[in-house]
Amino acid sequence: MPPSTRWRRSWPTLLAYASVVVLLAYALFPVFWMVSTAVKPTNEIRTADPTFIPTQLSGEHFALVLWKSNFLVYVRNSLLVATTVTAATLVVSTLAGYSFSRFQRLPGITAAGVGMIVGQLVPGVLLVVPLYITMKNLGLLDSLWSLILTYTTFSVPLSTLMLKGFFDQVPVEVEEAAELDGCPSWQVVWRIALPLAVPGLMTTALYAFVQSWNEFLFGYTFISQDDLRTLTPGLADFIGIWTVDWGALMAAASLAVLPVTVAYLYLQRYLISGIATGATKG
Amino acid sequence: MAIDAAQPARARRGVHVPKVRGRYGYAYLFMLPAVLLLLGLTVWPLVRTFVLSVQNVNLVRPGSEFVGLDNFRSQLTDRTLFWPAVWHSLVWTAGSVGGEYLLGLGSAALLNLPLRGRGLFRMLVLIPWTVPIVIAAMTWRWILQPEYGIGNVLLVRLGILAEPVYWLGDLSTALGTTIFVNVWRSFPFYTIALLAAMQAVPKELLEAASIDGANAWQRFWKITLPHLKGVSFALIVLHVVWTFNNVEFIWLLTEGGPLHASETLATLVYRMGFRTFQISQAASLSVMMIALLLIVGAGYRLLSRRRVQGE
Repeated sequence: MPPSTRWRRSWPTLLAYASVVVLLAYALFPVFWMVSTAVKPTNEIRTADPTFIPTQLSGEHFALVLWKSNFLVYVRNSLLVATTVTAATLVVSTLAGYSFSRFQRLPGITAAGVGMIVGQLVPGVLLVVPLYITMKNLGLLDSLWSLILTYTTFSVPLSTLMLKGFFDQVPVEVEEAAELDGCPSWQVVWRIALPLAVPGLMTTALYAFVQSWNEFLFGYTFISQDDLRTLTPGLADFIGIWTVDWGALMAAASLAVLPVTVAYLYLQRYLISGIATGATKG
Repeated sequence: MAIDAAQPARARRGVHVPKVRGRYGYAYLFMLPAVLLLLGLTVWPLVRTFVLSVQNVNLVRPGSEFVGLDNFRSQLTDRTLFWPAVWHSLVWTAGSVGGEYLLGLGSAALLNLPLRGRGLFRMLVLIPWTVPIVIAAMTWRWILQPEYGIGNVLLVRLGILAEPVYWLGDLSTALGTTIFVNVWRSFPFYTIALLAAMQAVPKELLEAASIDGANAWQRFWKITLPHLKGVSFALIVLHVVWTFNNVEFIWLLTEGGPLHASETLATLVYRMGFRTFQISQAASLSVMMIALLLIVGAGYRLLSRRRVQGE
């Protein structure tokens, strides 16, 4: 093959690879810069000539975040809230999703289903003021319960719809057979349907956990006591406290983002099928 | 009950019916927690919003009175906050969704090419979307920081800017910059969704077109793109609703400032609720936003029905 032909064949390919490089640089540079800022000493940060790859690694910012701030308290609060929300969402949506899958034709059940879809679409900003008043009246402001209740309510509708889909795939005949064999009907859900829907439960759990882990607006509004803050509002507070200490801010951001990103990438095939069906809230 | 009447013999023998009727009871019992949560924490707050919108509740002063449509009137005649916020909401929503869609479409087309390592590329391109909004905002505030921010440093060094720009603090650039950051965080969602749709385009169609002499560009325009209509439609409508109602991005980047230059209806609701404590004013804005949402929802249903009939 003469060189000119080879060149003509390969230039679109080269162009494609070049575009991929530009795209990935755009997508990943901020994340790279966050980590890079976090690990370098302050004199390489506050300068008009910053280094891309740190010439010197420094743990000072991580030490500040971990030992001299409330970062770990925020993490604990977020973990508490997110795990409770996940457990509560699983219980509530398993029950509702099962009922929705098996008894669709009963009066009222369909209406509840439509209500779920509509409820899923109500944006948070329209609820934050009235819910604040409700929580105030219930005496739940500055209590993690306000967030647990709110986040559970927000993740139940989509979780119910997802689990309904999974229960739909479990044949009714299996349950009927179990009942004929003398399994009490209330145990059918627990012993027969639930084990068969485990993949669905995993997806739902991930969704509920990440949803409440990342939520900002309600956590920022309902909780004002510092030792009850969850992670995302806590990070936002750091912006105010460490105004110019970008090393510490980026260290906190890196610590907070890495577990979520790793979890996402690990679970990306579930995630992508979720996105492909247009179900995941952004 | 209908079941008893239909199966009297079996009922008398007491084989199945009691059990079945028992399970009908379970149907409602199982639904109950979900329904209670939705009623208490979604429906009731919305009802509350409508009630508050015709009162004059202000957290700074106790008491409430019925004031009719006064709040709506004062909003609609407010040229300093309300109408600029309407305009900013439109720019913010159209700019964000438009930018996200174009970038998502371009990157999906790129990652649909038979490149080596595209599995890895697809995974990497998803990363911005996994970054929580708070962290995206923190990181970009640092990159765009006027003195030491790498964005300004690079742009000045490359000669594109004569001097650093205070991107988030300047009246003329604040809103555009928040849109830019939102596009960065949100476009991967479009990439993945559109890529999935592109891979569902029948290979035979593309091959046939190729044999008939259509080049890559024509194949993309005439075959791939029409196949993306359904996904695109859903993506755009969902994101219009999410973006229009988003408070976090703008609040964390600029708090709606400087001087309300990036204030949207959504951030205005939040400001009135939690900064100036004009609860009823916030509620009246919310009611107007609900009305807009319902119009968009009705339009969506109408259009998607027409689409289904058209196909």
